[in-house]
Order: sequence, then C-alpha cells, then structure tokens
Amino acid sequence: MVSGTLDRNSTGEALPGRITQMGGGSHKRATSRKWAWNDTTAAWILITPLLIFFVISVIYPLFETFRLSFFDIRGVRAPKYVGFGNYFKLFGDPNFQSALKATFLWTFVSTAFSVAIGWGLALICSLAPRATLSFRVMIFAAYGVAEAVSGFMWIGIYRPDVGLLNSLLTTVGLEDWAHPWLGDVKTAIWALIAAYVWTQVGLPLMTCFASIQSVPRNLHEAAYIDGASPMKILRYIVMPLSLPGVRVAIFINLLASLKAFDLIFVLTGGGPIRSTETIGYFMYRESMQNFKLGYGAASTVILLLAVLVVSIPVIMKRTGEAR
Amino acid sequence: MQLFDFGFERPASLKGLIVGTVAAIGVAAGSTAALSQDASGEIVMINWLGGAQGEMMTKLQDDFVAKNPKASFRNIVPQAAGDARGGIRQIILGGEQADLLINTWPAFRKELADSGLIIPVDNVWEEQNLGDKLPDAWKNLSVLNGDNYGVTYTFGNRSGIWYQTSTLQNANIEAPTTWEEFVGGFAALQAKDITPMAIPAKVWAHAEWFESILIRTAGVETATKLANHEIPWTDPAVKTALGKWAELIEANCCRDPNTMLATAWDNAVDASLKTGDAAYVLMGMWLNTRAKVEYGKTPGTDYTIFQFPAMGMGHDNTSMVDAKEFNMLATAKNLEGSAAFMAYMLSADAAAIMADYGLASPSSDADTSLYDPVVRKSVEEVAKAEKVQFVLGDLLPGDLGGEYRVQLQKFLTDPSSNNIDQVTAAIEAVAAGAY
Repeated sequence: MVSGTLDRNSTGEALPGRITQMGGGSHKRATSRKWAWNDTTAAWILITPLLIFFVISVIYPLFETFRLSFFDIRGVRAPKYVGFGNYFKLFGDPNFQSALKATFLWTFVSTAFSVAIGWGLALICSLAPRATLSFRVMIFAAYGVAEAVSGFMWIGIYRPDVGLLNSLLTTVGLEDWAHPWLGDVKTAIWALIAAYVWTQVGLPLMTCFASIQSVPRNLHEAAYIDGASPMKILRYIVMPLSLPGVRVAIFINLLASLKAFDLIFVLTGGGPIRSTETIGYFMYRESMQNFKLGYGAASTVILLLAVLVVSIPVIMKRTGEAR
Repeated sequence: MQLFDFGFERPASLKGLIVGTVAAIGVAAGSTAALSQDASGEIVMINWLGGAQGEMMTKLQDDFVAKNPKASFRNIVPQAAGDARGGIRQIILGGEQADLLINTWPAFRKELADSGLIIPVDNVWEEQNLGDKLPDAWKNLSVLNGDNYGVTYTFGNRSGIWYQTSTLQNANIEAPTTWEEFVGGFAALQAKDITPMAIPAKVWAHAEWFESILIRTAGVETATKLANHEIPWTDPAVKTALGKWAELIEANCCRDPNTMLATAWDNAVDASLKTGDAAYVLMGMWLNTRAKVEYGKTPGTDYTIFQFPAMGMGHDNTSMVDAKEFNMLATAKNLEGSAAFMAYMLSADAAAIMADYGLASPSSDADTSLYDPVVRKSVEEVAKAEKVQFVLGDLLPGDLGGEYRVQLQKFLTDPSSNNIDQVTAAIEAVAAGAY
C-alpha cells in the first residue's frame, strides 16, 4: 500500500511538501525523491489554471490591442500595416487632444470630490457608527448600482423640459437658474462629474470609515485625558490615522475615473460637440462606431499607459512593503 | 465613378414605382404559401429594431413561423445607442453565424459587400419572383457593381413634417405649403407659447432639416454628388442651405441652442406629437408607429404630416426618403429559409402587419387600403415628388457621418455666415480622407 506522509529531517521537523512512501528502503527512497514534489512545482501546478485563464483573458487581448494599433482598419475592410502611424495621427488629432483634456479634468475633479465627500461623510459617521449604519448602506448602494442604470436616473434629473433639477429650481423661485445642463458645452462635463461623483462616493466612504474605525481607542482616550478638544482629536489623530483608507480610495477612484465610460455613454454620448468625450469614450467611438479598430486600439494603448502610470507606483509601494 | 448606385439617377422610374405602389390594390392570394414552402430550420437575424418597430418585427416573424411551422427565428441584438452599425460590425466580425441583416444604411451595404460579408441575392429575386412585386427601380436601390445585395421591405417619406392637428388649430393657422407661410406661422405659434420646431440635436436627428432644405435649395443631384464627395462640402450649395436654416433660427423657430443639443429624438417627438409643447418635428415614418402604438393617437385625426414647404428655388419637386432592406450574410446557413422570409416580407400579409404599425411596403402586393391616412398621405407625397434622395447622413462613410452631425451641432450654436464657413471646412477636412 502506498500512502503519503511527511518526510522529516534529522531534527525530526516535518518537511512540508515532501511525500515519501511508507516502509520504503534506500532504493525506494531514491525513487520517491525522483517523483517528489517540491514547493515550486506544487506552486506552478496550482497556479497554472489561473495563468492560462490570465493569458487568454488579459495577455492575449493586450497583445492583440498592441498589434491592432499598428494597422489602419476601416470598417470591415482588410487591415493595412502603418507602423506607428496611428500614434502619430492620434497626437495630431484635435478630438484626441480634447479628449485628453476632458479625461484629466474628469479624473482629477471627480476623484477629488468623491474622496473628499466620502472621507467627510466617514468622519461624520464615525461619531455615531451604529446610528449611521443605514445611511452608510444607502450611500454605498449607489456605488453598487450599475452606472448605466444611474445614467438613466440622471437623465431624468437633467432633462431640459421635465427634468427634476430644473423643476426644483423653478419651484423654489430660481427659474433663471434652470438650464439645459447636458446641452451646454460649458456645463455638460460638470453635470456629468456631479452624477459620477454620486455613483462613486460610496467606496471612499467605506474605506475611510474602516480606516477611522481602526484608529486605536486608547489614542482617543489619551487625547481626551490630555484635554484635547473634539476638533483637535479629529484634526491631529483621526484624520492623519485614517489616511491609509483615503489613499486606497484615491487609487481606486483614479483608476475607475480614467476608464469611465458607461455614464458618459448614457447621459451625453460624448456630446454636446464632443465636450464630454474622454479617452475611454474616444476609444469606443473610433473602435465601435467608426470601426477604425487600429486607431481605437492606439488610443486604448495610451489609456493603458495612463492607468499604468497611476497604478504601478502604488502597486510597487504596496507590494514592496509586504514581507 | 459613382460610389453608390440607388437609381436616383433615374428619378422618373423611382417615381413610377411609388405611384405604382400607391395605385396597387390587388392582392395575390396564396402567394405567401407558395413562396415560403421550403422554409424550415432556424433563421438567424441581426435585428436592431427596438420599441414598436421591434414589436412589429416579432409579429412578422411569428406570422411567418405560423405559415411555416418548421421554421424558427433567433434574433441577435447588437449593443448600440443611436447608430447600430458599430454593434452590427461587432456581431459579424465576432463570428456570429447569422443569415439575415436588417440594413438601412446604403454606405454600410457597400462596406459589407466590398468585404464579402454579405452576398448577392440575385438568385433570390429570380427564384422567388420578387421582380413581380418590386419594380426594377427598387431592385436598383440595392445594386452594387451589377449585383443585387438586398430586398427592400419598407420605405418612408423623410421630408414629411409631423404635427398635431390640435396644435395648429390652437394657433389658428393652416398647414403651410410655402416657406413664407411656414416661417410666417411661427409668430402665431409663439403667441400660444408653442415652440414652432422641435429640434433634437443631441445625436443625429437635427440633420434631417438640413437635408430637406439642401434638396429643396440645390436639388437631388447636388446631394448625390455630396454623398459621393464629387463636390466639396465647402460648395456654395451647402452654404446656401445652411443659410436658409439660419433664417429659421433667426425667426426663433426653436428653443435655445443648448436645449436643442440636450434634446434626444424621442423627447422632441414627445414635445410635438404628445404634449404639444412644440408644433413641428421632421423625422422618419417610425414616428407614425410611435404615435399610434405608444401615444395611442389616431393618425389623420390627432396628428398628420405636410410635405416640406416649397422654397421657390427650382427644386420643390423633391423629397427625401429612407428604406429598410434585408441583406443576406456570407455566413448564412439557412439560405432557403432566409430567401423565403425575404419573399414573405413582400407579401400582402406582411404588408398588412406593417400597415398596422404605420409603415408602408413597396410591394405591389400590399393592400394600400389598409394604410392609415398618414401613411397614405406620406406615400402620395413621395409619389408626387419627381426626384427623391436617400437620407444623406446614411450615405456617408461612418466617421464622416459622425463629423457631419457634430459640425451641424456647432452650426446650431452659431448660425452666422462666418461659422458656416468654419463648419463646412471642418466637414470637408474629414471628407477628404474618408473615401
């Protein structure tokens, strides 16, 4: 009978991962060594299915995107190799330049507001964690709703004729403020950012709240005994010690904002006059509407680089600290 | 060389076929069964129709299956908002083995045909005797390089201006027939707090007004040349058309530019045909389906159309039209079933279902007595036109079509002659590299 057991070293410690055959002599022991699994082999075997999945779903599409970006593809016609032509063309394309500007504005403003509001709400909620549970759940629920669904709700809010916002403004006597928010190139992107912040604020609220909750209770008590006012406790203890949660929220919101698409697609379709077209939407329009797949792929590569610029330093810092 | 060949170079024959369509009352009883006797198996259709039109297509498929119990349908719905071509390309290139495609864009037909993704259907025309139901001019609509790639199953008048009868009664004005009457009536409408024209400029529908003005000021031939880029977009004819549109804006035809840019096509139709906040809206025949089915309005009584007003510039005998056709994909497996369904779509039964939804059939088998007053008037108006032009925006290659609509949005924000120069130059810059 063959059964697995742990091999032991000279001090009698178990050597995990070693399998030998019970009752074997030296010959059998040598044979078993030949077939023995070490940690590395086991790790590779365990990780292989995931790696295969990763290669198929991430690496291959990435490779294909890079490859496509070197071709001029119009509609369903045969591709034509153009080298870096799409990249040169991109940086001379005023629509792409405008999309770059819109993306930076969108990303930084929406991240700043989402995190600031989320952090602020988290600080308020931390004053009465139990009493604000349902409030936190409600705010986080907005984060869980699909952006496309939120988009349809915000269309109802922003509609110029029967929209909720203009109706409210008219009701409270501010009819002069009523405005076609999504039709004006000056207000459309801000209206979109407001809607996007609403959908995103739930995550910073939760990460910051968790971070605040992890501040040791004895620090509060020590500060209180030392005579610190609640505002000082907030300013010098809670806020600095909740920064890890804020950093996580900033990182996740930055990445999500860079890739934002759904809400823009539903609310404005990149308009009016392309004023709300971010790189993500530009990529969609060129790839899926105009079906210039090569050109769209080149813009995808640029977006990917932007995402990497944001994420690599954070990932390196985080994993570098891990032991 | 013409990029597209729709038969618009033969306007007289197209006029003839529409007149024939209007005149034809007789129905060839039993022809459907004969045409569809071989239909069996699954027919896979790329079907992007939504709302009431989507409901109509389901009814047509159900009726076909009722007549051919061995047949069934599987619809592949592209992910799209507005222009469905992107989603359709994804489906085709994604490897879906579809049989039929509903197509309304001649430029797209050419793109697919040039790439070998759709196949000629000349044999379907012969085997199913479609020539008996559709005159050659309809056949020529979908001919490319001598091969026929489609079967047109519905057509519409795109120069018909829609309005609620109560709106004009309220303003105490009649449906205008001339440009002067049209513009002159704005004051009466505004006095009743009604916006004369609902312009949905959020995505594409604002181009409709420009296109009808263009063919009335410059003629069908100029529009065709523009579609083929045989003349530049900076041509004086384009600027004149935009100048006439600027006259409407100066006469306070519409809401402010920002509101126009925030208005989607369905909201504009609601304003005109449902709430009455606006008087006129210019769009395709699917408005009839929407008003009948979704608003519950009675065609001819609650709402109707008048043809785009005469402008007195020598081209008042023109009309813009659209059409929908079936293309057979190169991946088609169920050729017999697909051919039978194409033939069924020209049958009296199919025409009756379409008429019920407010759409016209080009088939001579269609019983036109089933048409509601709006469809009948619409078809008669197109028949009266000596020259017709397919919707210009649908003739343009994808990225040019997009730029054209964006630049027309810019025009709406500033209709000055200086901006007209900039707008036309911007379209021309894209057109130069689009063909």
